[in-house]
Amino acid sequence: MLLVKDSMTREIVTLPPDETVGTALALCRERRIRHLPVLMEGRLVGIVSDRDLRSATPAFGDQERAAALQEILVEDVMASDVVSSLPDDPIEQAANTMREHRIGSLPVVESGELVGIITSSDVMNALVYLVGANEPGSRMEIAVPDRPGSLAGAAGVFGMCGINIVSAAMGPTREPKEEGAVRERVVVFRVDTIDTTEVVGYLEEAGYSVLWPPRP
Amino acid sequence: MAAQALSGRAAIVHDLALENYGFGGDHPFNPLRVRLALELCEALGMLEDYPFVSSGPATDEDLTTVHILSYVRMVQKAGRGAGDLSDLLDYGLGTPDNPIFPDMHEACARVVGGVLAACRLVMAGETDHAMCISGGLHHAMRSRASGFCVYNDAGVAISRLKEEHPGIRIAYVDTDAHHGDGVQWMFYSDPDVLSVSMRESGRYLFPGSGGVDEKGRNGGVGYSVNVPLEPFTDDESWISCFEAVVPEALRAFGPDLILSQNGCDGHALDPLTHLSATTRLYEHVPHRIHDLAHHLCGGRWVATGGGGYDIWRVAPRAWSALWAIVSHQELPERVSEDWLSKWSGKSPVELPPLMRDDPEDYPQGPHVAKLAERNLRAVDEVVEKVLSRI
Repeated sequence: MLLVKDSMTREIVTLPPDETVGTALALCRERRIRHLPVLMEGRLVGIVSDRDLRSATPAFGDQERAAALQEILVEDVMASDVVSSLPDDPIEQAANTMREHRIGSLPVVESGELVGIITSSDVMNALVYLVGANEPGSRMEIAVPDRPGSLAGAAGVFGMCGINIVSAAMGPTREPKEEGAVRERVVVFRVDTIDTTEVVGYLEEAGYSVLWPPRP
Repeated sequence: MAAQALSGRAAIVHDLALENYGFGGDHPFNPLRVRLALELCEALGMLEDYPFVSSGPATDEDLTTVHILSYVRMVQKAGRGAGDLSDLLDYGLGTPDNPIFPDMHEACARVVGGVLAACRLVMAGETDHAMCISGGLHHAMRSRASGFCVYNDAGVAISRLKEEHPGIRIAYVDTDAHHGDGVQWMFYSDPDVLSVSMRESGRYLFPGSGGVDEKGRNGGVGYSVNVPLEPFTDDESWISCFEAVVPEALRAFGPDLILSQNGCDGHALDPLTHLSATTRLYEHVPHRIHDLAHHLCGGRWVATGGGGYDIWRVAPRAWSALWAIVSHQELPERVSEDWLSKWSGKSPVELPPLMRDDPEDYPQGPHVAKLAERNLRAVDEVVEKVLSRI
């Protein structure tokens, strides 16, 4: 779960380096994509984004645009120093690579062969699935002490109430609200219930502090 | 009555069987709220000319216009005390939200039958407006119970009307505090069904869906209108958002019938949500829907209930106000003494003596201006990205 291969697109639209920028732009438009890996004899030699393509050509209305679209080739504008990812990389690693390089996609390469592409939209989709935001549920934020068993304890309260947990995400530690208390972590639970009133009461009784929802 | 002759006739669909839809114990969805509301209407003299119209249960054929048969069979099984709990859970049954109760299929099918009957009365021209306060179970999914809702009454009624009146265009307007997800998804690609859901943002609140970007699929793009409001939104901001979106959406759509879900759980006193509305909102919304129905579709309007979990102080007054508007009657100022004396001993909270909330009892929260501004931003986005596609 949460590997690049789980979220990448496998049907990849590619181009040879000697294709024109005009054709490449048309391809982006038709297929509604923004990133095109460039292949030469099956080997990944570059990647080009719709932004690279557009910034290399004169703007709409410019008389030289039509000619430029036919004359400039993909190899003139592509990035040939390609940052890629492996299918078994964790998706957070791919996301971090994109963030550090400020790029929107990574070709996925295995044994020298291009097997897919992962984009920032794929990472977004993975996030939505990860937090269960596509399933009905209530979102609860709970601060738990940064101590062994805290997460299990909070989760157990939901189990006791018969409420199914759709997702749980725990954040980094933070200073506690009360002076002298142990550091805490905030956990975001998505739970399959419309009525959180009872479980909020039990969580507070058990000593967890419920940041959301507020008590009525 | 003069008012009746001027602006249409009304019917109320109800019978005791509809009050069997409830989950027992201290579950928040308590059918007592329906009883309290209707007894208040009666005590206020608002039912004198309007005997209850009774209705039968929805048939399996009705239900399977939107639900899958294996789900219906599972609900039937559950209501007979049969069925394996693990299987039931796959259908959202047997959870704290949707516990199993005896004969639950029959009770749920009655609610659907009530709303279907109300819709048919209106479409047959036997009445202009109809109300079935037990309806409004908008979270029920195709194959899953969700958020206190087992069968989706609006979904079934809309599907049946589409069969019975080919080409009909139905506007579903949902002002419950929770997103009308079940109904929205059932007609997500259908440009003949406009679904408008204006309520608390799903950022935290169940079911979580209903962002502005959920605007329909394929041919239905533009026909799912979502206006998420910030927690703690008050009447003022809510009403201005409603006015900015709903009339324009309905005019652009041109419905043949308006079906409204009138949940009243956005009230400040509601224990399950975080909005700050008062009875003012719950008069404003039906008033405007009533006007729009007369302007756009010959008055054809069916109103249902929905959420509303302050069953003592809010639901009875909000739904009496709804009935007053549906039936063109003046809403009395005071809660009936008879009703108060019958129920005040049983209520765990003090019952309000007036039908309308006093604004002084609901002071503005600290961030009113900020919330209103954020809500208006959502409205701008809806107008620009969604209404333009209708």
